[in-house]
Amino acid sequence: MNAVELINFSTWYGSKNILKNVNLGFSSDAITAIIGPSGCGKTTMLRSINRTAEMETGFKWDGDIHVLGQSIIKVKNVARVRRQVGMVYQTPVALPMSIKENVLFGPRYYGIKGELQGDAIVEDCLRKVALWDEVKDRLKQPAFKLSGGQKQRLAMARVLAVEPRVLLLDEPCSSLDPASTNLIEELLKRLTKDLSIIIVTHNLFQARRIADETVFMLEGQVVEKGSTGTIFTSPRHEKTRGFISGLFG
Amino acid sequence: MSLRAITDLLWKAFFWLSGLFILLVLLAIISYLIWRGGPYINSQFILGNPAGTPLGSEGGILPAIKGTLWLVLLALVFSIVPGLLTAIYLSEYGRSGRLAEMINLLVQSMSGVPSIVVGLFVYALGVVTLGWGISLLAGGLALAIMVFPVIVVSSRDALLAVDENYRLVANSLGVAQSYTLRRVILPRAAAGILAGILLALGYAAGATAPIMVTAAAIIADSSGALLEPVMALPYHLYILFNEHISINQAYATALVLVILLLLLNTLALWLHSLQERINNR
Repeated sequence: MNAVELINFSTWYGSKNILKNVNLGFSSDAITAIIGPSGCGKTTMLRSINRTAEMETGFKWDGDIHVLGQSIIKVKNVARVRRQVGMVYQTPVALPMSIKENVLFGPRYYGIKGELQGDAIVEDCLRKVALWDEVKDRLKQPAFKLSGGQKQRLAMARVLAVEPRVLLLDEPCSSLDPASTNLIEELLKRLTKDLSIIIVTHNLFQARRIADETVFMLEGQVVEKGSTGTIFTSPRHEKTRGFISGLFG
Repeated sequence: MSLRAITDLLWKAFFWLSGLFILLVLLAIISYLIWRGGPYINSQFILGNPAGTPLGSEGGILPAIKGTLWLVLLALVFSIVPGLLTAIYLSEYGRSGRLAEMINLLVQSMSGVPSIVVGLFVYALGVVTLGWGISLLAGGLALAIMVFPVIVVSSRDALLAVDENYRLVANSLGVAQSYTLRRVILPRAAAGILAGILLALGYAAGATAPIMVTAAAIIADSSGALLEPVMALPYHLYILFNEHISINQAYATALVLVILLLLLNTLALWLHSLQERINNR
């Protein structure tokens, strides 16, 4: 079964048609990369899947999205969908509180049993994102002091703490140095054991390094989807070939 | 030096002088007040009751200070909760919706209503129709209506200045909006909101028109009883001057009022700069 499935899905911002009748499935427990030129609707697609696109005024949609077999597009309880489908954004954001409280931001809302359980969640999630050793002695310090790469891993820990089934990442490494990028890529590969990951990236090498499958989008439509090897070595479409060889985009 | 550089320099000098001019006006007012009123300020003036014939020509202004504090306190009690709730609605829930646009317009119009009109409205409603009489309660209500738009606008802007990414990140964790508001947005905006409240407080403390017809008396003990009239600094000043009671006492009262307002505004300014440092972090 596909983790996420878009069915005849279209979106608009005001009168501007962004996604145009997209039919697309994302495999479970795998990493799927979405590539394509700026403005082709990649971010809108991600934000539709965790129902944050509607936070923008003038957003409209048509069609359906299934997450783990269930339609999420008409669900009234948006919070449940957002919890199930975590998202990490392009800009690393540390909430204005301590490192520990950043990780516990979600769990405290959903309820944790005592500080001991809280500490366990913090350690577990920070270990998953390979941040524990760097911050274990200063968990109570404000998180804004962390570097960009550390903030981005903290953002991932914060999302993992609410136990999502699907993880969306919108160009998570675009503002990071190569070392931090490398760390995050390693981490994503490890996380995919029990998590379906969809990553939007402008870095074709990154898609090639980490993705099991790759989707190429253009002007709000899916041009081609296939295993990453196939997309990068023998794409079926002329446009895909043009994009990956750097001819446009 | 080229012509362009000279014009540039002239403009710069012009801007600088304009700023200096305003500063000089303020300094002139304060030094004049210190010169005329300063010698009459002593502990007996601050802590005593008005005395002499006509009343107020001697003695102190303690009931006026107390009355002004009561009025301001009551105005804040009436205006902070509705003002803050309106601001939260405008910045977090309504955003650019129709209703929010309408409320924004209303609040803006409200701040344009002359304060004497607010006073007369509360006179008609509270003092006469509801039978409160000239009272602390009516004066507090009039001042509350007057400062309500100030509190709404300053709190709204402080909330809107909070990094939008926090809302996005927090809400995409699937928590309720009120949780994000309580744990992230409000703490971040607190200093700015407080600064706005202090400005409103100063505005209320200095206002004369709304209390003239609702709360102020020439002499009262300003005990804080809601249905009793109170004395107030700006009104006391007006009476001392207008009835030719004592020009010296008037200057001394004015000095006390101005010092009070300067303190409030300095505190507000400090909080404002603190908020800016928080926002840039």
